[in-house]
Amino acid sequence: MTTYQEFIQQNEDRDGVRFSWNLWPFSRQDATRLVVPVSCLFTPLKERPNLPPVQYEPVMCSRANCKAVLNPLCQVDFRAKIWACNFCFQRNPFPPSYGGISEVNQPAELMPQFSTIEYIVQRGPPAPLIFLYVVDTCLEEEDLQALKESLQMSLSLLPPNALVGLITFGRMVQVHELSCEGISKSYVFRGTKDLSSKQIQEMLGLTKPAAAVGQQGRPLAPQDAAASCRFLQPVHRVDMNLTDLLGELQRDPWPVPQGKRPLRSTGVALSVAVGLLEGTFPNTGARVMLFIGGPPTQGPGMVVGDELKTPIRSWHDIQKDNARHLKKATKYYEALANRSAVNGHSIDIYACALDQTGLLEMKCLSNLTGGHIVMGDSFNTSLFKQTFQRVFNKDYNGDFRMAFGGVMEVKTSRELKVCGTIGPCVSLNSKGSCVSENEMGIGGTSQWKVCSLDPSTTLGIYFEVVNQHNAPVPQGGRGAIQFVTQYQHSNTQRRIRVTTVARNWADAQSQIQHIESSFDQEAAAVLMARLGVFRAESEEGPDVLRWLDRQLIRLCQKFGQFNKDDPTSFKLSESLSLYPQFMFHLRRSPFLQVFNNSPDESSYYRHHFVRQDLTQSLIMVQPILYAYSFHGPPEPVLLDSSSILPDRILLMDTFFQLVIYHGETIAQWRKAGYQDMPEYENFKQLLQAPLDDAQEILQTRFPMPRYIDTEHGGSQARFLLSKVNPSQTHNNLYAWGQETGAPILTDDVSLQVFMDHLKKLAVSNSV
Amino acid sequence: MEDMYIKPGNQERGWNDPPQFSYGLQTARGPQRSLLNKRAAPPGSGAPPPCGVTPPPLNPAGPPPGGLATPPPPGGLATPPHPIGPMRIQGEVDSWSSEPDVDVVVGVLNRALAACRHAIKDQVCNDVAKRLCLLKDSWTSGRLSLPVRRRMDTLSKELQLGHWDSADEIHRSLMVDHVTEVSQWMVGVKRLIAETRNLSPALLESLQKPAGPAEDPARPVDPVSQSGP
Repeated sequence: MTTYQEFIQQNEDRDGVRFSWNLWPFSRQDATRLVVPVSCLFTPLKERPNLPPVQYEPVMCSRANCKAVLNPLCQVDFRAKIWACNFCFQRNPFPPSYGGISEVNQPAELMPQFSTIEYIVQRGPPAPLIFLYVVDTCLEEEDLQALKESLQMSLSLLPPNALVGLITFGRMVQVHELSCEGISKSYVFRGTKDLSSKQIQEMLGLTKPAAAVGQQGRPLAPQDAAASCRFLQPVHRVDMNLTDLLGELQRDPWPVPQGKRPLRSTGVALSVAVGLLEGTFPNTGARVMLFIGGPPTQGPGMVVGDELKTPIRSWHDIQKDNARHLKKATKYYEALANRSAVNGHSIDIYACALDQTGLLEMKCLSNLTGGHIVMGDSFNTSLFKQTFQRVFNKDYNGDFRMAFGGVMEVKTSRELKVCGTIGPCVSLNSKGSCVSENEMGIGGTSQWKVCSLDPSTTLGIYFEVVNQHNAPVPQGGRGAIQFVTQYQHSNTQRRIRVTTVARNWADAQSQIQHIESSFDQEAAAVLMARLGVFRAESEEGPDVLRWLDRQLIRLCQKFGQFNKDDPTSFKLSESLSLYPQFMFHLRRSPFLQVFNNSPDESSYYRHHFVRQDLTQSLIMVQPILYAYSFHGPPEPVLLDSSSILPDRILLMDTFFQLVIYHGETIAQWRKAGYQDMPEYENFKQLLQAPLDDAQEILQTRFPMPRYIDTEHGGSQARFLLSKVNPSQTHNNLYAWGQETGAPILTDDVSLQVFMDHLKKLAVSNSV
Repeated sequence: MEDMYIKPGNQERGWNDPPQFSYGLQTARGPQRSLLNKRAAPPGSGAPPPCGVTPPPLNPAGPPPGGLATPPPPGGLATPPHPIGPMRIQGEVDSWSSEPDVDVVVGVLNRALAACRHAIKDQVCNDVAKRLCLLKDSWTSGRLSLPVRRRMDTLSKELQLGHWDSADEIHRSLMVDHVTEVSQWMVGVKRLIAETRNLSPALLESLQKPAGPAEDPARPVDPVSQSGP
């Protein structure tokens, strides 16, 4: 008998899936009453070193509107060579190649351990990977130099046959022709004029006379396009010239008068990039990599004017409806993002500047296409350089940890429908019988396009139980869900990964305790948080908090044990015990609070929150805190002001920051230099231990976090103090004078007060 | 190992910039030593930690009022387990002091280029030759640091031995760790590695047989140096 903990872990390891509930209530009404929807976090390309792909095509159900893939849950008649689809119950004959199957000779996809299986399919010619660099030249000399070097370096990390292209922009936009010989030419576009895709392709000479286009006007096959496109060339052919070209890049030559911003035509540059790929490589994996050192200041997509006396919009301006360019720019970039998504091209944004660069307006470029957003202070920082380097990280097989052109489809058994998805994807508007009318996230479809994925890309998927109330629960019945993800592997193969999962149905009247113990509070917290963040993108902050609070109170009313109107009697079972705490920290997090963050920062934090896997997402919600002391090995401690003790070193991981905090005594010892005395070798080791652990995290995290080494009384201790639960403040005096932690100067509500209110509300009928 | 190091981030340009890991450290990591992803269980189910309930740990070295206590003496007390892995910060230390010879390194590369001349377009070869000159200039005018010179030495030996993957890996590590020094000419070396690996064995003979009066013909090829992963 395994515990739910073990069951959950096994399922995550094998299928990359974590459900909020692992037993499902059988009726719609009961499911609604659980407050947290039946939903899951799904990592389509979760790394599975022990899962070699099979070299044949999946067998699909013959019913036209089902097409589910043969899986271990299907009933098989080995003698008649027939299988029954577990989604639509259609009986299907096996294809001739399965003639030899029997009980003892089964194909992999029927074995229970292959609930996740990957197929290599050979369709069409292999498509090359494409990287189009779009580079802002309105940078300081030092930044431009560092960026040029990073780009030159990246040519060594790309596979030799990848296609690469270069667009640079400042006041003008230049598309560089990459040839291996002779003088390099470039095409110049004005940065103020919005051009249609067709115009761009004509100006670049990409459109062919009618006769040259394939028969009946079919688009060119990728190889033909490769031969004809002078702007995208294989790395191995042009690397020497491109290295020189990059090396010779100069800062934008147009003079910038005092009191002005440089004129930066980011909008047109992106439009040209999207148009170029659209015309040459539709439906082929490609990455546009945009590097910017400031906001777009002219032409379509402009975010702020060039007058320095007009600052870029703040949250205050937005609330006062005083952000002049916001709507127009957002609309412009959304249109570009959607075009890009249709063609399967993703857009990364690497924004390095001290002020805002317009991520709020441009975020959709990455959010809709699965691209990365990286935000740093300068291109000449290790944060940027290493993060950029990690984009090209490889897996255990030596393949890039990136995939392109993903299409994820969800199929459900009849009792379930899919409400929507939250993650870096767009809808493919595929209506079908398993699509719910009740939308959550991006809904109204059973297929989504994820233009770029990596092994940690994780989608939140929300479901609805549709059975009528009082329908009898079938004995041993299970609901099933199948995820079919087609994608282009970085080695250019087309692959299909199929994950089929099932959970038991339960009667919410008689088995509510079983359902309760099947609750995965970590998954539920992240799934609810994603719903909250999704709402926060369109609704006012306080409304989102109220919605989250109401959900939490209802959940506590449903599952708490208490005597009516007696808050002291309130108790939650183990499977829900951490959930209120997660919600408490989520309410304080930068994903829902915009105070102290610029609109760009909020966009950046939210961008990462809705794509990371469960572990990383949970770190973002409730940072992890470890204590190092002479009293024992390093141990996790409460994210609470009472954990801040003089004789401890704390290591806090918030995902975006790593903070090492030396308690008062430790800091004094360190200042006195005890670590340098041979007789205090153990103190030296104590100081080193959190540094080593921090390095372990720094080596794997994408993007690189900021790294803060601080101590008691240090100004940067605020990063720790603003995250811990303020259980001791200047307001509750009784903690003063005791060695129980550090009082926080805040009027924020503590977890204790939050819980007291929650209990009071849960035990009363008022909500 | 001189290619395994961590250097501090650029605090002048980046606020709280994280340290920078060398290419060798980035690629040679084993499984994670300790996953810091645990959370302390709150006392009581769903209940917050009540204030002041955690008693202050009895601290043998608690600072006496007004004075600075010393850290606890070593021994007797539990110290955190502390495996000394490859994670320690270290500069690129001189562990061995032999100075690579520019003529030997460039000699190998030039012979590789000569071997390529039979099979590859002149223009490409001239481009590569131009970059090899740049390399030699940088080296002889003292613009290349010792780690770069050493790694180039190893690269040329790997190339000579026909260990293309290893040579390519060294080229990559140089581009990542020392891009400022090498970016101008390294792309020529990169091309050279790519082209020589495609050559027929007959053409490679001249590369593998050390020749020319500039070199000691009996120079043993040293296979000890770092071989790529």
